[in-house]
Amino acid sequence: MDAFILSQYVLSGLVIGVIYGLMALGITFIYSIMKMINWSMGEFYMIGSYVQYALLAGVLGWSLWYVALPVAMVSVFLLGLLVQRFLLRPMYVGGVERRDEYATIVTIALMVLFRNLAIVLGGPNQYAPRDYARATTLVTLPISGNRMVALLGTLVLLALFFLVIKTTWIGRAFRGAAQNRVGIQTAGVDVLRLDMLAFGVGVALAAAAGALLAPDFLVYPENGAISTFKGFEIIVIGGLGSILGSIVGGILLGVIEALGSVFLSPAYKDLYGFVLLIALLVFRPTGLFGERERTV
Amino acid sequence: MINALRSFLLAVLATAALTSPAFAQGAIKIGVLTPLSPPGDAAAGQFIVRGAKMAADEINGKGGVLGGRKIELIVEDDSGTPEKGAAGLRKLAGQDKVVAVVGQFHSSVAEAVQDLAEQLKVPVFLTQASAKKLTEKHLNYTFRTHVIDPDRVTLWNKWIQQQGFKRVAVLAENTDYGVGVVEETKKQFVSMNVKAELKTIIFDRAVVDLTPQILEIKNWKPDLFINVGIGTPLYLITKQAYDVGLFPAVPMLMSYDAPSRPEYWNTLGEKGTFATFIVYYHPTMKLTPRGEAFRARYLEQFKEQPVYGGLNAYAQVMLLADAMNAGKTDKPEDIVKSLLANKFVGWNGTIAFTRGEGPYWQQWTPPMLFLQYTKPEQAFPEAKIIYPPELKTGDLMLAPKR
Repeated sequence: MDAFILSQYVLSGLVIGVIYGLMALGITFIYSIMKMINWSMGEFYMIGSYVQYALLAGVLGWSLWYVALPVAMVSVFLLGLLVQRFLLRPMYVGGVERRDEYATIVTIALMVLFRNLAIVLGGPNQYAPRDYARATTLVTLPISGNRMVALLGTLVLLALFFLVIKTTWIGRAFRGAAQNRVGIQTAGVDVLRLDMLAFGVGVALAAAAGALLAPDFLVYPENGAISTFKGFEIIVIGGLGSILGSIVGGILLGVIEALGSVFLSPAYKDLYGFVLLIALLVFRPTGLFGERERTV
Repeated sequence: MINALRSFLLAVLATAALTSPAFAQGAIKIGVLTPLSPPGDAAAGQFIVRGAKMAADEINGKGGVLGGRKIELIVEDDSGTPEKGAAGLRKLAGQDKVVAVVGQFHSSVAEAVQDLAEQLKVPVFLTQASAKKLTEKHLNYTFRTHVIDPDRVTLWNKWIQQQGFKRVAVLAENTDYGVGVVEETKKQFVSMNVKAELKTIIFDRAVVDLTPQILEIKNWKPDLFINVGIGTPLYLITKQAYDVGLFPAVPMLMSYDAPSRPEYWNTLGEKGTFATFIVYYHPTMKLTPRGEAFRARYLEQFKEQPVYGGLNAYAQVMLLADAMNAGKTDKPEDIVKSLLANKFVGWNGTIAFTRGEGPYWQQWTPPMLFLQYTKPEQAFPEAKIIYPPELKTGDLMLAPKR
């Protein structure tokens, strides 16, 4: 195999890996602030893709995808606020004893509800928005315009996210909550309101991935399953709660899957990531960038 | 006085209704077990349900079966998964007491369903499940009015030979259908002495990014690419093959009739142009009077051409009614006997179930045609028939360079 062909496989893995990273970022962000796993993350990805499609097909027209994208994100952000306020907040204020189990049951119920709502409202068929951009070439890799837009969109969103987290007051509050939820309350931060924002931002990131990938990976009721599946794999590889870990984990997973499916067998594409995951759990249980939890 | 008279009349009417043969024995239930939600090919299931309902309406409109009993359809979603298929059949046979089940689409589901149907003694009809092994098992309660994969593969191998393709790549999903088609193609390449190189790749149906596999195929430089995805994977392969420049530069054959549905152009847009695909029905075909009547009513009701799945489900419910009438029975065991003993009018010919060799067991096969879209948004009736030679209305058209 020559270097040209090999570079195509590596690049294809890198591109999908960066996008995987965006899928995982929302999960890890919500976990780091609220200390809960959102099992319905894939369904927020799915809702993002449906909102994007509905806006383009029914309101804005196919060419205004860049207008639809922030609208889809904001819609899902608002939905996230409502879900957090009415379904998840009670577990932080109501003296719920088994908080993890509560969160698991509520988010799995949401997953089933949203999927079935999608079937009822949109039917079981798949839809696809028209292409966002013309096909192009990334170094040696022929790539669809949609995938290129998704890659660039992901990089922009990641940069914005880092900027907000590192330089703004709310970003410092998020970092504080990630380190010590009780500690930031002593500094006057309303941690419940912060939770609501964190949940909204996390699910809006998933919605962005769904909206960006809608023309390539299609819009249908179960399209979020892959996002949840890969997202959890990535956060274990990268380290639970680590934002950098979710990006590096995503890229690693994308490249390993691409090379494994070409050099070994594509029938086991999902297995290669799990082999990496199990190896990491054996040799580095905290993941690549995760830290061992310290309690006093 | 008036109240007493009203009560008397109501009592007479109720007695008459309750003692009529139709009410006394109730409606005859037929199950429709088909994919209506993902990961199954839900669009296919919707067309199957349409066809079955039209048959039930037609039968009931003409007075029902067995001297006036109505047909009642019970629709169940198998989601294209064997476990839901088996659960659906248990419910249909155990709770609803259906006399037969139609609508099976995915071969993997059909395999789970047919084994259970054999235990529960309920006839099950394969409407669009084509894996060879389904009728090769020689089960008493399984009937099929659809093509089998060896015939499908034989036809595309003949086409490959006729067109002189030298390098053929097959990308198939890891289902009974996909794996079966790949194995059959390999076998028949040898037995039919096809003078072409063959590359086969089997992918996991749950995977959405198939770019590495499609790049591998592109770099192998095939002159024909066969897309063996069902439902969403078919569209994902087509889009991604277009995006990396494999298709339409290299002709692509889709292994079944999904492009005949209206959703095809909605999902693929111009990326669907120049695709070649297999169908079992074309609007220019001459049908039986029963098939023609169905087509006319379908056009009137839905304002679009019927698709094969609808036609086949319609014919299956109609022939079940015919079998019940011929055997004067609503008992599943006796319906099976009647199905084997009689001939039935289908949508494009006479259907007879014989117990032949290998997969030709209780099997009736419709025709197969290769069609090609040559213009974006081309209507299904305008697609050219490019194979077999005796029916063709045009030749394979290669796409201009992009």
